[in-house]
Amino acid sequence: MAASSRRTRSLADEVREVARGWRWGRRPVVPRSAERVTPPAKVWSFPTDWARTEAGRAARDVILSGVMKPIVWNETSPEVFGLDNLDHLTPPVMFVSNHSSHLDATLILTTLPPKWRNKTATAAAKDYFFDVWWRSAFTALVYGGFPIERGGGERATEKARELVRDGWNLIVFPEGTRTQDGWVQRFRHGSARLAIDLGMPVVPIAIVGAYAAMPKGRSWPKKGRPPIRVRYGPALEPEEGETHQAFSLRMQHAIAELFDEDRTSWWEARRRAAAGQTPRISGPQGPKWLRTWEGSRPVRRRGTPPVWR
Amino acid sequence: MLEVDERTPPLLVHEGEGFRLQKFPLGTRVIYPPDSLPGIRDVRGAIRHAIANPLDSEPLAELLRPGMKLTIAIDDISLPLPPMRSPDVRQLVLEEVIELAARAGVEDLKLTMANSLHRRMTADEIKHAVGERVFRSFYPNDLTNFDAEDPNGLAFIGTTEKGEEVEISKRAAESDLLVYVNINLVPMDGGHKSVPIGLAGYRSVRHHHNVHTMLHSKSYMDPRPGRSAIHDSARRMGTVLRDAGIRIFTIETTLNNDVFPDPFGFMNKREWEWSVKDQASYLAAKKANDLAPPKLRHQVYLRIQSPYGVTGVNAGDTDAVHERTLARLHEQQLVEVEGQSDVLVLGIPYIGPYNVNSIMNPILVHCMGPGYLFNMYRNKPVVRPGGALIMFHPVPWEFHQVHHPSYVDFFEEVLSETTDPMTIESKWEQQYATDPWYIHLYRTSYAYHGVHPFYMWYWGAHALDYLGDVIVVGGDPKACARMGYRAASSFRDALEMAGETVGRSPSISYLHVPPLTVADVR
Repeated sequence: MAASSRRTRSLADEVREVARGWRWGRRPVVPRSAERVTPPAKVWSFPTDWARTEAGRAARDVILSGVMKPIVWNETSPEVFGLDNLDHLTPPVMFVSNHSSHLDATLILTTLPPKWRNKTATAAAKDYFFDVWWRSAFTALVYGGFPIERGGGERATEKARELVRDGWNLIVFPEGTRTQDGWVQRFRHGSARLAIDLGMPVVPIAIVGAYAAMPKGRSWPKKGRPPIRVRYGPALEPEEGETHQAFSLRMQHAIAELFDEDRTSWWEARRRAAAGQTPRISGPQGPKWLRTWEGSRPVRRRGTPPVWR
Repeated sequence: MLEVDERTPPLLVHEGEGFRLQKFPLGTRVIYPPDSLPGIRDVRGAIRHAIANPLDSEPLAELLRPGMKLTIAIDDISLPLPPMRSPDVRQLVLEEVIELAARAGVEDLKLTMANSLHRRMTADEIKHAVGERVFRSFYPNDLTNFDAEDPNGLAFIGTTEKGEEVEISKRAAESDLLVYVNINLVPMDGGHKSVPIGLAGYRSVRHHHNVHTMLHSKSYMDPRPGRSAIHDSARRMGTVLRDAGIRIFTIETTLNNDVFPDPFGFMNKREWEWSVKDQASYLAAKKANDLAPPKLRHQVYLRIQSPYGVTGVNAGDTDAVHERTLARLHEQQLVEVEGQSDVLVLGIPYIGPYNVNSIMNPILVHCMGPGYLFNMYRNKPVVRPGGALIMFHPVPWEFHQVHHPSYVDFFEEVLSETTDPMTIESKWEQQYATDPWYIHLYRTSYAYHGVHPFYMWYWGAHALDYLGDVIVVGGDPKACARMGYRAASSFRDALEMAGETVGRSPSISYLHVPPLTVADVR
């Protein structure tokens, strides 16, 4: 009898069925035909303040230094340049970087000097990093992450303002999401507006090679310890009367100059910048495949290749 | 309405005193009831307003006077489903009406449960429906069950132009004013179905509760003239009552879709909107339900009372009131559906109108599936002509010996010979309807009338005539075979079996009830 056989199903079977059907541990999704009529999920922010307490910071330091850094440094070959640009700065500052991989936040946090890292929080998209409890907890603990709504607006940056007032540095990816093709996308103006409003310096960072190492869609770096270079640039200060659009463009140019410096040399990049000839970082015009093709070119390694005898 | 895709979680399906999560094939259309409407906050205020500002009638207060004969008829145990959590809306209406009657100096006041050929209600059931104050004031002398077999209690009023005899409660017919207090759960209820059927005996009821009428009611959830022969007949009878000078003041109420209380609240929701708490509630309820001994499980289901909200109260002339009631009801229940499908899937819940505080026997499963739920449509059925109906229910071979004595004999004696409604009607109906033992049990015990199982079978006549196949998932094979159904051990098997009728890749619609919904099929 079917009815009686149903009754003998174990609790584990039932739990498994519910877990699979409601995607436990994964982002909940709405059936396509119901998307039009389903109101957005209730706004609720995962609490993250606990991750910025003394205990939370200590735990983060252990995780970043003891777990994340060894993994990333073992699986890739990162190099760091320009940390001296931080020497004369007084926190809080905003670190802005191109966003090409899930490695980005880890790379920045593990390359920042400890005194900076201990007081740095990462803005993370609420709809992605704070959708399920375990991802929210991981983001808050490991990256000092706090949720930011991609839609923009005053509420989106409410938490960021609160943190800056408390003296926290912020890591922000103004593109809003990881690049699909390896090239830098249009900057959203929220970060520039925030920096102007709070009068905080912005430190541009160029991360070269992270896309080639672990592009969107991968959860582990490619084999062969691909090279990655993290370049910190000189801080930008919002100028008197500067609009957030203009400041956002300046941030973008600063990162483009760091890319140019990585490709050639500091001297050549400076000369091209002075002449207004810094190459664009938004990639070539053309079909999507071409942009992806160009963007995914392997990053050249520095130095003499090893010779095996 | 939802179309099942790979993102859709398994869907809740009722199966008698149980429920399950069932995966449906991709592309299945799921017809959900609309969101529950907000209930009226001040229900008493709404009732007072309705009876003071009635539709096409003088205010109730002006119809009441000293020395008059006043009768109040009340919908019986079959409404609402499940029973409403106290205070029942009938109680609230009655208290307002009786208060007016008391103030107007009315002394001759009788209350009658309009149970027609249904079983008598017990004292506790009546008390729950009318409230303690009304019960204490009137029971048992002036608050009674209607007795459709009382030779001195019925009055012949006349015949309709189609020759239908109209015979109703004598007390109601002789009253200066008859107030009817209704709960309109589905479009089939209310209107002229209240007095001409609720207060009528077999002589009158047989004119619309017959196979011919059922076959010409497409559907009986669509009471518009010309759509439902049963409602057309009731309407004609209502006209006879009005022409005979019987003054009826109708008070109709509608409820929202808050059917299941906690911890069954998840059953009111669409599955993809289940919170973690809902999922946990499902797991706990499912496991407890599966592990509980059948008797305990039955007791738990009997105790479910719905936290309904009242969405509308209308009073006055029957036609005008019912038009408003239907509009409100449609707002709560009507869902537009584009086109028909090859297969209709139904989960039969644990309760129907005729097994409140009782057992849903196989005949009542037939009444609920091919009867009521198949007919939850307007315009045309959800399933195409010759399509298949797949129901989920264990169909246990069980009967309540007090409530359904004639059902036992009907199942053993009648259905073992034929399932054809026409043959059953012509060969056995009269015998059961006039059987002195069944009449005795109906009048003195708590038994449904001897003819009642026949009507249950007739409710499904249209579906049996229309469908190509009826398959019951998880049904008792013997009980299913007795009724002409086929039993399947799983939904997958049922679809395989239906394939013989509707092909290998049929279109499927799942009517996700309860809460109730009516498909407006275009």
